[in-house]
Amino acid sequence: MWKFSLRMAKDRVFIVAVSAFTILTVYPLLHIIYSVARNGLPVIMERGPTFFTGGMSEAGIGPAIAGTFLLVLLSSLIGLPIAFLVGVYAYEYPDSLIGRTTQALLQIMLEFPTVLVGVFVMDIIVLPMGTFSALAGAFALAIIMMPYVAVYTKEAMRQIPFTYREASFGLGVGRVKAIFRILVPLAKRGITTGILISMAKVAGETAPLLFTAGGLYESYPTSVTEPVGAIPLLIYTLIQSPSKDAHSMAWGASLVLLIFFLGVFIPIRRSLKVVRL
Amino acid sequence: MNNYAIETRKLTIFYGENRVINRVSLKIPKNVVFALMGPSGCGKSTMLRAFNRILELNKDAKIMGKVFLMGQNIYAPNIDPSDIRRKVGMVFQYPNPFPHLTIYENVAMGIKLNGLLKSKEEVERRVKWALKRAWLWDEVKDRLQDYPSNLSGGQNQRLIIARALALKPKVLLMDEPTANIDPVGTRKIEDLIYSLKEEYTVVIVTHSPTQAARVSDCVGFLYLGKLVESGRTKEIFERPQHELTEKFVTGELV
Repeated sequence: MWKFSLRMAKDRVFIVAVSAFTILTVYPLLHIIYSVARNGLPVIMERGPTFFTGGMSEAGIGPAIAGTFLLVLLSSLIGLPIAFLVGVYAYEYPDSLIGRTTQALLQIMLEFPTVLVGVFVMDIIVLPMGTFSALAGAFALAIIMMPYVAVYTKEAMRQIPFTYREASFGLGVGRVKAIFRILVPLAKRGITTGILISMAKVAGETAPLLFTAGGLYESYPTSVTEPVGAIPLLIYTLIQSPSKDAHSMAWGASLVLLIFFLGVFIPIRRSLKVVRL
Repeated sequence: MNNYAIETRKLTIFYGENRVINRVSLKIPKNVVFALMGPSGCGKSTMLRAFNRILELNKDAKIMGKVFLMGQNIYAPNIDPSDIRRKVGMVFQYPNPFPHLTIYENVAMGIKLNGLLKSKEEVERRVKWALKRAWLWDEVKDRLQDYPSNLSGGQNQRLIIARALALKPKVLLMDEPTANIDPVGTRKIEDLIYSLKEEYTVVIVTHSPTQAARVSDCVGFLYLGKLVESGRTKEIFERPQHELTEKFVTGELV
Protein backbone atom coordinates (compact mmCIF):
# COMPACT_ATOMS: atom_id res chain seq x y z
CA MET A 1 0.00 0.00 0.00
CA TRP A 2 1.96 2.94 -1.24
CA LYS A 3 0.52 6.34 -0.61
CA PHE A 4 1.92 9.47 -2.13
CA SER A 5 3.28 11.77 0.50
CA LEU A 6 4.51 15.21 -0.39
CA ARG A 7 6.76 15.28 2.63
CA MET A 8 8.52 12.05 1.66
CA ALA A 9 8.82 13.16 -1.95
CA LYS A 10 10.44 16.43 -0.96
CA ASP A 11 12.83 14.52 1.23
CA ARG A 12 13.86 12.23 -1.66
CA VAL A 13 14.31 15.09 -4.10
CA PHE A 14 16.42 16.95 -1.61
CA ILE A 15 18.71 13.99 -0.90
CA VAL A 16 19.17 13.26 -4.61
CA ALA A 17 19.96 16.90 -5.34
CA VAL A 18 22.47 17.21 -2.52
CA SER A 19 24.20 13.97 -3.50
CA ALA A 20 24.40 15.08 -7.12
CA PHE A 21 25.95 18.40 -6.20
CA THR A 22 28.40 16.73 -3.86
CA ILE A 23 29.54 14.39 -6.63
CA LEU A 24 29.80 17.31 -9.03
CA THR A 25 32.07 19.17 -6.61
CA VAL A 26 34.33 16.25 -5.83
CA TYR A 27 34.46 14.93 -9.38
CA PRO A 28 36.91 17.49 -10.80
CA LEU A 29 39.36 16.82 -7.99
CA LEU A 30 39.21 13.07 -8.51
CA HIS A 31 39.50 13.59 -12.24
CA ILE A 32 42.61 15.70 -11.79
CA ILE A 33 44.22 13.05 -9.64
CA TYR A 34 43.19 10.35 -12.12
CA SER A 35 44.40 12.12 -15.25
CA VAL A 36 47.68 13.20 -13.67
CA ALA A 37 48.31 9.62 -12.59
CA ARG A 38 47.29 8.15 -15.96
CA ASN A 39 49.39 10.53 -18.01
CA GLY A 40 52.27 10.90 -15.61
CA LEU A 41 52.87 7.34 -14.50
CA PRO A 42 53.85 5.97 -17.96
CA VAL A 43 56.37 8.80 -18.38
CA ILE A 44 58.01 8.09 -15.05
CA MET A 45 57.98 4.30 -15.65
CA GLU A 46 59.53 4.71 -19.07
CA ARG A 47 62.35 7.00 -18.02
CA GLY A 48 63.12 5.35 -14.71
CA PRO A 49 65.30 6.88 -12.00
CA THR A 50 66.87 9.34 -14.46
CA PHE A 51 63.59 11.22 -14.40
CA PHE A 52 64.21 12.12 -10.77
CA THR A 53 67.92 12.79 -11.03
CA GLY A 54 68.79 13.85 -14.55
CA GLY A 55 68.84 17.32 -16.07
CA MET A 56 66.64 18.57 -18.88
CA SER A 57 68.83 17.13 -21.67
CA GLU A 58 68.53 13.67 -20.11
CA ALA A 59 64.76 14.22 -19.93
CA GLY A 60 64.91 14.45 -16.14
CA ILE A 61 63.54 16.93 -13.64
CA GLY A 62 66.19 16.49 -10.93
CA PRO A 63 67.20 20.17 -10.77
CA ALA A 64 63.56 21.24 -10.50
CA ILE A 65 62.97 18.85 -7.59
CA ALA A 66 66.12 20.12 -5.90
CA GLY A 67 65.04 23.70 -6.61
CA THR A 68 61.64 23.16 -5.00
CA PHE A 69 63.25 21.70 -1.91
CA LEU A 70 65.75 24.56 -1.78
CA LEU A 71 62.99 27.17 -2.15
CA VAL A 72 60.80 25.56 0.51
CA LEU A 73 63.77 25.31 2.86
CA LEU A 74 64.89 28.91 2.34
CA SER A 75 61.39 30.37 2.56
CA SER A 76 60.80 28.41 5.77
CA LEU A 77 64.01 29.81 7.25
CA ILE A 78 62.91 33.33 6.36
CA GLY A 79 59.21 33.08 7.09
CA LEU A 80 58.60 30.55 9.86
CA PRO A 81 60.27 32.24 12.84
CA ILE A 82 58.64 35.61 12.20
CA ALA A 83 55.22 34.16 11.41
CA PHE A 84 55.35 31.96 14.51
CA LEU A 85 56.12 34.93 16.73
CA VAL A 86 53.38 37.01 15.09
CA GLY A 87 50.90 34.18 15.71
CA VAL A 88 51.88 33.90 19.36
CA TYR A 89 51.66 37.65 19.75
CA ALA A 90 48.21 37.80 18.17
CA TYR A 91 47.10 35.07 20.58
CA GLU A 92 48.50 36.74 23.67
CA TYR A 93 47.40 40.30 22.89
CA PRO A 94 44.29 39.96 20.69
CA ASP A 95 42.86 43.31 21.79
CA SER A 96 46.00 45.42 21.46
CA LEU A 97 46.33 47.77 18.50
CA ILE A 98 49.11 45.66 17.00
CA GLY A 99 47.14 42.49 17.72
CA ARG A 100 44.05 43.73 15.90
CA THR A 101 46.03 45.21 13.00
CA THR A 102 47.95 41.98 12.61
CA GLN A 103 44.72 40.06 12.58
CA ALA A 104 43.25 42.19 9.79
CA LEU A 105 46.50 42.13 7.84
CA LEU A 106 46.73 38.36 8.06
CA GLN A 107 43.21 37.97 6.72
CA ILE A 108 44.04 40.19 3.75
CA MET A 109 47.30 38.41 3.05
CA LEU A 110 45.56 35.04 3.01
CA GLU A 111 43.46 36.22 0.08
CA PHE A 112 46.11 38.33 -1.64
CA PRO A 113 46.78 37.61 -5.36
CA THR A 114 50.06 35.73 -5.30
CA VAL A 115 51.26 37.08 -8.62
CA LEU A 116 51.42 40.55 -7.08
CA VAL A 117 53.76 39.19 -4.44
CA GLY A 118 56.02 38.08 -7.28
CA VAL A 119 55.90 41.52 -8.87
CA PHE A 120 56.69 43.16 -5.56
CA VAL A 121 59.69 40.93 -4.86
CA MET A 122 60.95 41.45 -8.40
CA ASP A 123 60.89 45.15 -7.73
CA ILE A 124 62.70 45.09 -4.40
CA ILE A 125 65.14 42.18 -4.87
CA VAL A 126 65.47 40.99 -8.47
CA LEU A 127 65.95 44.41 -10.08
CA PRO A 128 68.53 45.72 -7.54
CA MET A 129 70.45 42.42 -7.69
CA GLY A 130 70.22 42.36 -11.46
CA THR A 131 69.41 38.65 -11.53
CA PHE A 132 66.73 36.11 -10.69
CA SER A 133 67.72 34.13 -7.66
CA ALA A 134 66.71 31.41 -5.22
CA LEU A 135 66.76 34.08 -2.56
CA ALA A 136 64.18 36.23 -4.36
CA GLY A 137 61.94 33.21 -5.02
CA ALA A 138 62.19 32.11 -1.41
CA PHE A 139 61.39 35.60 -0.21
CA ALA A 140 58.22 35.68 -2.32
CA LEU A 141 57.19 32.26 -1.01
CA ALA A 142 57.91 33.37 2.54
CA ILE A 143 55.47 36.25 2.16
CA ILE A 144 52.78 33.81 1.07
CA MET A 145 53.63 31.33 3.78
CA MET A 146 53.65 33.68 6.75
CA PRO A 147 49.95 34.47 7.17
CA TYR A 148 49.10 30.75 7.12
CA VAL A 149 51.62 29.91 9.78
CA ALA A 150 50.63 32.90 11.91
CA VAL A 151 46.91 32.15 11.74
CA TYR A 152 47.40 28.45 12.41
CA THR A 153 49.70 29.20 15.34
CA LYS A 154 47.23 31.61 16.86
CA GLU A 155 44.30 29.24 16.40
CA ALA A 156 46.26 26.31 17.84
CA MET A 157 47.10 28.39 20.90
CA ARG A 158 43.53 29.53 21.28
CA GLN A 159 42.39 25.91 21.48
CA ILE A 160 44.30 25.46 24.75
CA PRO A 161 41.76 25.32 27.60
CA PHE A 162 41.96 28.30 29.95
CA THR A 163 42.73 26.07 32.92
CA TYR A 164 46.20 25.23 31.47
CA ARG A 165 46.87 28.93 31.12
CA GLU A 166 46.03 29.39 34.77
CA ALA A 167 48.15 26.39 35.70
CA SER A 168 51.21 27.62 33.82
CA PHE A 169 51.01 31.20 35.06
CA GLY A 170 50.22 29.80 38.50
CA LEU A 171 53.74 28.37 38.64
CA GLY A 172 55.02 31.93 38.91
CA VAL A 173 57.25 31.65 35.87
CA GLY A 174 56.34 34.89 34.14
CA ARG A 175 54.65 35.46 30.81
CA VAL A 176 57.46 34.60 28.40
CA LYS A 177 58.32 31.29 30.03
CA ALA A 178 54.69 30.33 30.60
CA ILE A 179 53.96 30.86 26.92
CA PHE A 180 57.09 29.53 25.24
CA ARG A 181 58.04 26.75 27.64
CA ILE A 182 54.61 25.39 28.54
CA LEU A 183 51.76 26.63 26.34
CA VAL A 184 53.52 26.53 22.95
CA PRO A 185 54.72 22.94 23.50
CA LEU A 186 51.13 22.12 24.52
CA ALA A 187 49.89 23.38 21.14
CA LYS A 188 52.82 21.82 19.29
CA ARG A 189 50.70 19.54 17.17
CA GLY A 190 48.44 22.27 15.84
CA ILE A 191 51.37 24.57 15.15
CA THR A 192 53.31 21.84 13.33
CA THR A 193 50.23 21.13 11.23
CA GLY A 194 50.06 24.77 10.18
CA ILE A 195 53.74 24.78 9.29
CA LEU A 196 53.49 21.63 7.17
CA ILE A 197 50.38 22.85 5.39
CA SER A 198 52.01 26.15 4.54
CA MET A 199 55.14 24.34 3.28
CA ALA A 200 53.02 22.07 1.09
CA LYS A 201 51.18 25.11 -0.20
CA VAL A 202 54.25 27.11 -1.21
CA ALA A 203 55.82 24.01 -2.77
CA GLY A 204 52.96 24.11 -5.27
CA GLU A 205 53.00 27.84 -5.98
CA THR A 206 53.82 29.07 -9.48
CA ALA A 207 52.84 32.70 -9.75
CA PRO A 208 55.18 34.18 -7.12
CA LEU A 209 58.12 32.44 -8.80
CA LEU A 210 57.45 33.72 -12.31
CA PHE A 211 59.41 36.93 -11.92
CA THR A 212 61.71 35.89 -9.10
CA ALA A 213 63.23 32.41 -9.31
CA GLY A 214 64.22 32.45 -12.97
CA GLY A 215 64.49 28.72 -13.58
CA LEU A 216 67.39 26.26 -13.74
CA TYR A 217 66.78 22.86 -15.27
CA GLU A 218 70.03 21.62 -16.74
CA SER A 219 72.20 21.59 -13.63
CA TYR A 220 71.65 21.52 -9.91
CA PRO A 221 71.51 24.82 -7.99
CA THR A 222 74.78 25.77 -6.31
CA SER A 223 74.14 29.24 -4.95
CA VAL A 224 71.18 31.07 -3.43
CA THR A 225 72.03 34.24 -5.34
CA GLU A 226 71.68 32.51 -8.70
CA PRO A 227 68.51 31.46 -10.54
CA VAL A 228 66.82 28.28 -9.45
CA GLY A 229 64.10 26.02 -10.84
CA ALA A 230 60.97 24.61 -9.25
CA ILE A 231 58.56 21.85 -10.24
CA PRO A 232 55.46 24.04 -10.75
CA LEU A 233 57.50 26.59 -12.66
CA LEU A 234 58.91 23.82 -14.87
CA ILE A 235 55.42 22.49 -15.58
CA TYR A 236 54.35 25.98 -16.60
CA THR A 237 57.33 26.33 -18.93
CA LEU A 238 56.96 22.86 -20.46
CA ILE A 239 53.25 23.26 -21.20
CA GLN A 240 53.94 26.42 -23.20
CA SER A 241 56.27 24.50 -25.50
CA PRO A 242 54.65 22.92 -28.59
CA SER A 243 56.70 19.74 -28.36
CA LYS A 244 54.94 16.52 -27.42
CA ASP A 245 57.97 15.38 -25.42
CA ALA A 246 57.78 18.49 -23.29
CA HIS A 247 54.12 17.82 -22.58
CA SER A 248 54.68 14.27 -21.42
CA MET A 249 57.51 15.49 -19.23
CA ALA A 250 55.11 18.02 -17.73
CA TRP A 251 52.71 15.19 -16.87
CA GLY A 252 55.51 13.33 -15.14
CA ALA A 253 56.50 16.43 -13.19
CA SER A 254 52.84 17.00 -12.26
CA LEU A 255 52.64 13.53 -10.78
CA VAL A 256 55.77 14.17 -8.71
CA LEU A 257 54.26 17.42 -7.44
CA LEU A 258 50.94 15.73 -6.70
CA ILE A 259 52.61 12.91 -4.75
CA PHE A 260 54.63 15.41 -2.76
CA PHE A 261 51.52 17.46 -2.03
CA LEU A 262 49.29 14.54 -1.07
CA GLY A 263 52.13 12.94 0.86
CA VAL A 264 52.20 15.95 3.14
CA PHE A 265 48.50 16.74 3.09
CA ILE A 266 46.71 13.44 3.63
CA PRO A 267 48.48 12.50 6.88
CA ILE A 268 47.89 16.02 8.19
CA ARG A 269 44.23 16.12 7.27
CA ARG A 270 43.70 12.77 8.92
CA SER A 271 45.17 13.93 12.20
CA LEU A 272 43.64 17.36 11.92
CA LYS A 273 40.98 17.77 14.52
CA VAL A 274 42.57 20.41 16.68
CA VAL A 275 42.94 23.23 14.23
CA ARG A 276 40.50 24.88 11.89
CA LEU A 277 41.32 27.83 9.72
CA MET B 1 53.40 41.90 64.03
CA ASN B 2 51.09 40.12 61.65
CA ASN B 3 49.63 36.75 62.42
CA TYR B 4 47.60 36.28 59.30
CA ALA B 5 48.57 34.34 56.19
CA ILE B 6 46.05 36.23 54.12
CA GLU B 7 44.08 39.30 54.99
CA THR B 8 41.73 41.18 52.70
CA ARG B 9 40.47 44.71 53.26
CA LYS B 10 37.33 45.80 51.46
CA LEU B 11 38.19 43.51 48.56
CA THR B 12 35.85 44.27 45.68
CA ILE B 13 35.96 42.52 42.32
CA PHE B 14 34.14 43.45 39.13
CA TYR B 15 33.68 41.41 35.98
CA GLY B 16 32.96 44.21 33.54
CA GLU B 17 29.97 45.93 35.12
CA ASN B 18 29.15 43.02 37.40
CA ARG B 19 30.16 43.28 41.02
CA VAL B 20 31.14 39.71 41.97
CA ILE B 21 32.80 40.37 45.32
CA ASN B 22 31.57 43.18 47.48
CA ARG B 23 33.80 44.80 50.13
CA VAL B 24 35.01 41.61 51.73
CA SER B 25 37.30 41.97 54.73
CA LEU B 26 38.60 38.59 55.79
CA LYS B 27 41.40 37.28 57.97
CA ILE B 28 42.95 33.87 57.44
CA PRO B 29 45.32 32.75 60.23
CA LYS B 30 48.57 30.90 59.51
CA ASN B 31 48.79 27.11 59.52
CA VAL B 32 45.11 26.36 59.37
CA VAL B 33 42.80 24.93 56.77
CA PHE B 34 40.44 27.74 55.90
CA ALA B 35 37.28 26.85 54.00
CA LEU B 36 35.65 29.48 51.86
CA MET B 37 32.15 28.11 51.49
CA GLY B 38 28.98 29.25 49.82
CA PRO B 39 26.46 28.25 47.20
CA SER B 40 27.42 27.99 43.51
CA GLY B 41 28.01 31.33 41.84
CA CYS B 42 28.60 33.30 45.04
CA GLY B 43 32.09 34.39 43.95
CA LYS B 44 34.25 31.96 45.95
CA SER B 45 36.46 30.89 43.05
CA THR B 46 36.85 34.47 41.88
CA MET B 47 37.89 35.60 45.32
CA LEU B 48 40.36 32.72 45.67
CA ARG B 49 42.01 33.78 42.41
CA ALA B 50 42.60 37.25 43.82
CA PHE B 51 44.86 35.72 46.49
CA ASN B 52 47.59 34.77 44.01
CA ARG B 53 46.83 37.38 41.35
CA ILE B 54 45.90 34.67 38.85
CA LEU B 55 42.61 36.52 38.38
CA GLU B 56 44.49 39.05 36.26
CA LEU B 57 44.64 36.50 33.43
CA ASN B 58 40.98 37.31 33.01
CA LYS B 59 40.96 40.63 31.22
CA ASP B 60 37.46 41.60 32.36
CA ALA B 61 38.29 41.32 36.04
CA LYS B 62 38.91 44.49 38.00
CA ILE B 63 40.20 44.26 41.55
CA MET B 64 39.85 46.92 44.22
CA GLY B 65 40.70 46.98 47.89
CA LYS B 66 43.70 45.31 49.46
CA VAL B 67 45.04 41.79 49.87
CA PHE B 68 47.90 41.09 52.27
CA LEU B 69 50.03 37.97 52.14
CA MET B 70 51.99 37.53 55.38
CA GLY B 71 51.49 41.24 55.95
CA GLN B 72 52.63 42.29 52.47
CA ASN B 73 50.24 44.11 50.17
CA ILE B 74 50.32 41.93 47.05
CA TYR B 75 48.68 44.58 44.86
CA ALA B 76 51.30 47.21 45.66
CA PRO B 77 52.77 48.65 42.45
CA ASN B 78 56.29 47.30 43.00
CA ILE B 79 55.13 43.69 43.38
CA ASP B 80 55.80 41.18 40.59
CA PRO B 81 52.75 38.89 40.33
CA SER B 82 55.07 35.98 39.52
CA ASP B 83 56.65 36.22 42.99
CA ILE B 84 53.21 36.05 44.57
CA ARG B 85 52.21 33.05 42.44
CA ARG B 86 55.35 31.20 43.50
CA LYS B 87 54.53 31.79 47.16
CA VAL B 88 50.87 30.90 46.75
CA GLY B 89 50.36 27.56 45.00
CA MET B 90 47.12 26.63 43.34
CA VAL B 91 45.05 23.47 42.87
CA PHE B 92 42.16 23.56 40.43
CA GLN B 93 38.61 22.26 40.27
CA TYR B 94 39.40 20.03 37.35
CA PRO B 95 42.75 18.23 37.74
CA ASN B 96 44.87 19.87 35.04
CA PRO B 97 48.31 18.27 34.79
CA PHE B 98 50.06 19.35 31.60
CA PRO B 99 49.10 16.51 29.25
CA HIS B 100 52.26 16.80 27.14
CA LEU B 101 54.61 16.41 30.10
CA THR B 102 55.45 13.24 32.01
CA ILE B 103 54.50 12.81 35.65
CA TYR B 104 58.07 13.71 36.61
CA GLU B 105 58.19 16.74 34.33
CA ASN B 106 54.86 18.04 35.61
CA VAL B 107 56.34 18.34 39.09
CA ALA B 108 59.80 19.43 37.95
CA MET B 109 58.68 22.11 35.47
CA GLY B 110 58.05 24.88 37.99
CA ILE B 111 61.38 24.26 39.72
CA LYS B 112 63.29 24.23 36.43
CA LEU B 113 61.64 27.27 34.85
CA ASN B 114 62.07 29.29 38.01
CA GLY B 115 65.69 28.15 38.32
CA LEU B 116 65.09 27.31 41.97
CA LEU B 117 67.55 24.45 42.10
CA LYS B 118 70.83 24.13 40.25
CA SER B 119 71.77 20.47 39.97
CA LYS B 120 69.77 17.65 38.45
CA GLU B 121 70.11 15.65 41.68
CA GLU B 122 68.56 18.46 43.71
CA VAL B 123 65.63 18.69 41.32
CA GLU B 124 65.15 14.91 41.47
CA ARG B 125 65.24 15.01 45.25
CA ARG B 126 62.69 17.85 45.34
CA VAL B 127 60.35 16.07 42.92
CA LYS B 128 60.54 12.92 45.02
CA TRP B 129 59.90 14.93 48.17
CA ALA B 130 56.88 16.70 46.64
CA LEU B 131 55.37 13.46 45.35
CA LYS B 132 55.88 11.86 48.77
CA ARG B 133 54.37 14.85 50.53
CA ALA B 134 51.34 14.63 48.24
CA TRP B 135 51.03 10.90 49.07
CA LEU B 136 51.52 9.93 45.46
CA TRP B 137 55.10 8.61 45.39
CA ASP B 138 54.32 4.95 46.08
CA GLU B 139 51.76 4.89 43.28
CA VAL B 140 53.94 6.52 40.62
CA LYS B 141 57.56 5.80 41.58
CA ASP B 142 57.86 3.09 38.91
CA ARG B 143 56.32 5.15 36.13
CA LEU B 144 57.60 8.67 36.50
CA GLN B 145 58.15 8.83 32.74
CA ASP B 146 54.51 7.93 32.09
CA TYR B 147 51.99 10.57 31.09
CA PRO B 148 49.37 11.79 33.57
CA SER B 149 46.53 10.60 31.33
CA ASN B 150 47.17 7.12 32.74
CA LEU B 151 46.44 8.25 36.30
CA SER B 152 43.04 8.30 38.00
CA GLY B 153 41.30 11.58 38.79
CA GLY B 154 42.32 11.43 42.44
CA GLN B 155 45.93 10.64 41.54
CA ASN B 156 45.96 13.50 39.05
CA GLN B 157 44.72 15.88 41.70
CA ARG B 158 47.46 14.76 44.07
CA LEU B 159 49.91 15.28 41.21
CA ILE B 160 48.65 18.87 41.00
CA ILE B 161 49.20 19.24 44.73
CA ALA B 162 52.75 17.89 44.28
CA ARG B 163 53.30 20.34 41.40
CA ALA B 164 52.30 23.19 43.71
CA LEU B 165 54.28 21.91 46.72
CA ALA B 166 57.45 21.52 44.66
CA LEU B 167 57.84 25.31 44.68
CA LYS B 168 57.68 25.31 48.51
CA PRO B 169 54.85 27.82 48.71
CA LYS B 170 53.61 29.41 51.92
CA VAL B 171 49.94 29.15 51.06
CA LEU B 172 47.99 26.60 49.01
CA LEU B 173 44.77 27.64 47.30
CA MET B 174 42.37 24.87 46.37
CA ASP B 175 39.38 25.56 44.17
CA GLU B 176 36.83 22.77 44.81
CA PRO B 177 39.65 20.19 44.66
CA THR B 178 37.35 17.19 44.99
CA ALA B 179 34.49 18.32 42.76
CA ASN B 180 35.49 15.90 40.01
CA ILE B 181 36.92 13.10 42.14
CA ASP B 182 35.32 9.80 43.22
CA PRO B 183 34.49 9.27 46.94
CA VAL B 184 37.58 7.19 47.72
CA GLY B 185 39.87 9.72 46.05
CA THR B 186 38.03 12.52 47.81
CA ARG B 187 38.62 10.93 51.19
CA LYS B 188 42.33 10.62 50.53
CA ILE B 189 42.62 14.21 49.32
CA GLU B 190 40.72 15.53 52.33
CA ASP B 191 43.04 13.63 54.69
CA LEU B 192 45.99 15.03 52.78
CA ILE B 193 44.65 18.59 53.04
CA TYR B 194 44.27 18.16 56.77
CA SER B 195 47.86 16.98 57.11
CA LEU B 196 49.24 19.87 55.05
CA LYS B 197 48.37 22.56 57.57
CA GLU B 198 51.37 21.69 59.72
CA GLU B 199 53.61 23.33 57.10
CA TYR B 200 51.24 25.43 55.04
CA THR B 201 48.14 27.54 55.19
CA VAL B 202 45.47 25.96 53.04
CA VAL B 203 42.53 27.90 51.64
CA ILE B 204 39.93 25.61 50.17
CA VAL B 205 36.85 26.67 48.25
CA THR B 206 33.87 24.38 48.61
CA HIS B 207 30.13 24.48 48.01
CA SER B 208 29.62 21.64 50.44
CA PRO B 209 29.15 22.58 54.12
CA THR B 210 29.88 19.00 55.13
CA GLN B 211 33.27 19.11 53.42
CA ALA B 212 34.01 22.44 55.10
CA ALA B 213 33.11 20.86 58.44
CA ARG B 214 35.30 17.81 57.75
CA VAL B 215 38.51 19.53 56.68
CA SER B 216 38.64 23.06 58.02
CA ASP B 217 39.63 24.80 61.24
CA CYS B 218 38.24 28.13 60.17
CA VAL B 219 35.56 29.00 57.73
CA GLY B 220 34.10 31.96 55.89
CA PHE B 221 30.60 31.96 54.47
CA LEU B 222 30.19 33.88 51.26
CA TYR B 223 26.78 34.71 49.85
CA LEU B 224 26.13 36.76 46.70
CA GLY B 225 29.61 38.28 46.86
CA LYS B 226 29.38 39.31 50.50
CA LEU B 227 31.03 37.75 53.50
CA VAL B 228 28.19 36.79 55.81
CA GLU B 229 30.37 35.61 58.65
CA SER B 230 33.66 33.92 59.42
CA GLY B 231 35.38 32.32 62.38
CA ARG B 232 36.31 28.95 63.91
CA THR B 233 34.54 26.20 62.02
CA LYS B 234 33.20 24.63 65.21
CA GLU B 235 31.62 27.86 66.36
CA ILE B 236 30.15 28.77 63.01
CA PHE B 237 28.56 25.36 62.63
CA GLU B 238 27.31 25.12 66.21
CA ARG B 239 26.29 28.72 66.80
CA PRO B 240 25.84 30.56 63.51
CA GLN B 241 25.18 34.25 64.10
CA HIS B 242 23.31 34.73 60.89
CA GLU B 243 20.15 33.09 59.63
CA LEU B 244 21.65 32.58 56.14
CA THR B 245 24.62 30.76 57.61
CA GLU B 246 22.39 28.50 59.61
CA LYS B 247 20.38 27.66 56.52
CA PHE B 248 23.55 26.92 54.57
CA VAL B 249 25.22 24.69 57.13
CA THR B 250 22.03 22.71 57.66
CA GLY B 251 21.74 22.20 53.92
CA GLU B 252 18.60 24.24 53.37
CA LEU B 253 20.32 26.78 51.16
CA VAL B 254 21.70 25.45 47.94
